[in-house]
Amino acid sequence: MRHLVATHLHDRRRSVLVWGLALGLWSAFIVSIFPSIEDALSKATEGYPPALKEAFGVSELANVEQYLQAEMLSLIVPLALGYMAVRAVASGLSGAAESGRLDVLLSAPVSRRSLAAASFVATAVELVLVLAVTVAFTALGSALSGAGLSFGSAVAGFANVWPLALLFAGFGVVGTGWSLRTSVVTGSVAGVLASMYVIDLIGRLDSGLSGVRYVSVFKYYGTAIEDGIAPFAFGGVAIAAVVFAALGAWLFDRRDL
Amino acid sequence: MLIPSTAISVGEPCEHGAVPVIETERLTKSYGSARGIDDVTITVEAGEVFGFLGPNGAGKTTTIRTLLDLLHPTSGSARIFGLDSRRESVAIRARLGNLPGDFGYGKGASGREALSLLARLRGMNDVGRAEALAKRFRANLDRPLGELSRGNRQKVGLILATFHEPELLILDEPTSGLDPLMQEEFLTLVGEERERGCAIFISSHELDEVERVCGRVGIVRAGRLIAVERIAELLGKAKRRVRLELVEPADLAELRMLPGVSELKVEGRHASFLIGGDLDQAIKAIARHHVTDVEIAHPTLEEVFLTYYEEGGAG
Repeated sequence: MRHLVATHLHDRRRSVLVWGLALGLWSAFIVSIFPSIEDALSKATEGYPPALKEAFGVSELANVEQYLQAEMLSLIVPLALGYMAVRAVASGLSGAAESGRLDVLLSAPVSRRSLAAASFVATAVELVLVLAVTVAFTALGSALSGAGLSFGSAVAGFANVWPLALLFAGFGVVGTGWSLRTSVVTGSVAGVLASMYVIDLIGRLDSGLSGVRYVSVFKYYGTAIEDGIAPFAFGGVAIAAVVFAALGAWLFDRRDL
Repeated sequence: MLIPSTAISVGEPCEHGAVPVIETERLTKSYGSARGIDDVTITVEAGEVFGFLGPNGAGKTTTIRTLLDLLHPTSGSARIFGLDSRRESVAIRARLGNLPGDFGYGKGASGREALSLLARLRGMNDVGRAEALAKRFRANLDRPLGELSRGNRQKVGLILATFHEPELLILDEPTSGLDPLMQEEFLTLVGEERERGCAIFISSHELDEVERVCGRVGIVRAGRLIAVERIAELLGKAKRRVRLELVEPADLAELRMLPGVSELKVEGRHASFLIGGDLDQAIKAIARHHVTDVEIAHPTLEEVFLTYYEEGGAG
């Protein structure tokens, strides 16, 4: 399987650079402007409705970690990497079916489950690489601007996105058990991603609807950049991702290609 | 098509009594209400070159994809090397080579990248045979496959299917896109692979090439296998067209009475008719006239195929 993972990563090397650079540069920009807008931010957030601040995880914007959480980690990074994870898995399976590569690979002594597993594992590694690039640029931005971002907090904040994005990779594998069209798989799972975010948002805005948050992975996401990684939530979501990927591999094994 | 300078031995099985390389039993694949294949039963022996003929949509590719476990049979079974095509597909694929009908591997990857991965998946370090085949077929392994013409992509696909010296080659429309010289080289390669002991299953509607390399053919029509015959027997069943030129117009009505004769046309000194089976009686009847020229057209496999196809399954 390592050959398949290595090939998948080789094929996705540009994607790692593009996503890593895009998120890293944007994150570095956010961090680097913090010192110059810090005072104005504190005053501005005082006027925000409490529910709105709760909804977006913005209790205060008193330090760069909170600002990074509000600007990057509460919305942009999880949605972007969730989408990237689905794209990566779908390109490795549905995309391979569309291009004819799957027929060639399945002429060799590999099982369909190995292909699905390799695509999932490669996506997990790809996510780590993108997050590493993002953290590196963010830390660089902080160092250059003197924003004072704690490196450990930044690592925790970004690492916390990994199981969440990986869950959508797992959903993507399930999707390929249902459709071999990349656009269908990506679109469907991206819809689930957006829906989960909205459901969680509604649950946070309206305490009467807080129960709906349990169907959204964002309930278990938290604010690791401030509070550290919650091991049970982190591990639980990661395990759920693996379970969904296993289910997807089973479905992929049973379907016609 | 060019005639090869070296004769290609027709693919007869070289081993007897061994486990068949391919053995299907009433193999059926349905796509809901749409037709796939229905009750296909075939056996291909080691060292045999088996042609699988039929028009587009007849079920050739569905049969191949079911053999390869890309499609799961609705009913019936397929065994390759004596192994179940569904449960033991990984072990089967270790021993076969496959050229898909529309070979593709993504636009960005080169043939060499595909070769490298397949070699690693097969546990091979030496890809010298692939390099030799690339040279022989003048295939460019270094350019991205998306930049290659269909024929050049097909060459790469052929190399990927054969470089590991498989025991079974499954080739779906293998010469599509190849120029005549490369088609010749391909037919020579098929002969060599067969000599090596490889069984070859060729799906094609290029009837001429199948006639030249296959020992037996199966004819598939509307998802059903309507005939499996040795090439020679198949050709023997076909009607041949006989054209005569006589010194003077003659009454040839007696030919009409002979068994197997049809479509008799007489125009002055010229006559033509179709005949199936034994020619002896017709020749003797013709010999009673003063004949200046006679032409007996050897049936092409296409004519044989059309005979089966129109009749809906003789034999």
